[in-house]
Amino acid sequence: MAKKDDKAQPAEELVKVNKWDGSAVKHALDDAVKTCLLGDRPQLKEQFGLVNTRLVLCALAVGVAIMAHAWDFTHPFPQSRPVLLFSVLAYFALMGVLTLHTTFREKGTFAVAVQKDASNKSRTWEASSDMKKYDDKYILTLSVRDGRGQREQTSSKSCAAFIDSNGIILEHLVANEVNRLFNSLAAEKKDK
Amino acid sequence: MGIASMLQIDEMMGDFNRMNKRQSLYQVLSFAMIVSSALMIWKGLMVVTGSESPIVVVLSGSMEPAFHRGDLLFLTNYKEEPVRVGEIVVFKVEGRDIPIVHRVIKLHEKEDGSVKFLTKGDNNNVDDRGLYAPGQLWLTKKDIVGRARGFLPYVGIITIFMNEYPKVKWAILSILAIFVLLHRE
Repeated sequence: MAKKDDKAQPAEELVKVNKWDGSAVKHALDDAVKTCLLGDRPQLKEQFGLVNTRLVLCALAVGVAIMAHAWDFTHPFPQSRPVLLFSVLAYFALMGVLTLHTTFREKGTFAVAVQKDASNKSRTWEASSDMKKYDDKYILTLSVRDGRGQREQTSSKSCAAFIDSNGIILEHLVANEVNRLFNSLAAEKKDK
Repeated sequence: MGIASMLQIDEMMGDFNRMNKRQSLYQVLSFAMIVSSALMIWKGLMVVTGSESPIVVVLSGSMEPAFHRGDLLFLTNYKEEPVRVGEIVVFKVEGRDIPIVHRVIKLHEKEDGSVKFLTKGDNNNVDDRGLYAPGQLWLTKKDIVGRARGFLPYVGIITIFMNEYPKVKWAILSILAIFVLLHRE
């Protein structure tokens, strides 16, 4: 049911989600926020460090598992015991590290971008969101970090403020919210 | 149209189409991690119990009334523990893949600790010599997969069912795989 929006951007399709599926709504809103944050601001370059770390950890874990399986296949069990022992321990250790990374370092962050000023000072913008399981409040946090410290602004609105009754995400409403947070943070930094 | 919109396939495909490269890679890796976790737990059990197949399903009724077809058995295979008459062992005949769960009824032991033993199912009329490889009259320690240490009744019926109807198994696994790959977290 995604229709072409003739008025504003003819090339974009409207995003439709199942409005009762909390996780799909959160992801769709995250995508919309990211598009709004980065879309009109070419000075913000997206950084993939966090996501890359997560992907590398996953790939390593899977690699260990594959190696263990292949080794056990070519050297039937009793001989492969030490290798298996090492692989199992390594696998669960990597899973532990991955869990620590997602819980403490990533924490709902879905967009990281760096802005370079004319004076070559860089600021790091991070957008993260939280939406509890059966709650309708979409808590969006935008934070900026530069040489002088870190500031953040949070907006806590019902997700219904951004989605219409058919489940279509209204990008201009999301953009309003994102711009409000961004400008407020950008203004505060300049004043200091 | 009715069923598809009920299952929200539209929205799921929408979710999927909006994934960028990294997100798609993460979906594949998530699926791989689920499979790997199961695999690593199995290998971990192998290491801890010392047996190449720490959990087996009883496939026949030859051990009734102790074990019935479909029971799940937990095995250990510690080298230090001696095999004794009366114990229930799981063994594989050389050249065949199927594990057999029967009781030890006769045993010869040498001074160096090596043993040869004969097995028989409780519910069978004859001993297992008919099952062994041609010319083989005794089993040795290396044929043992493990000793039965605990069991869960009936749970293994699913495994027997999936092995007799492999298409059902592949259908279920494929549906699960597609669901995991397309659904974001």
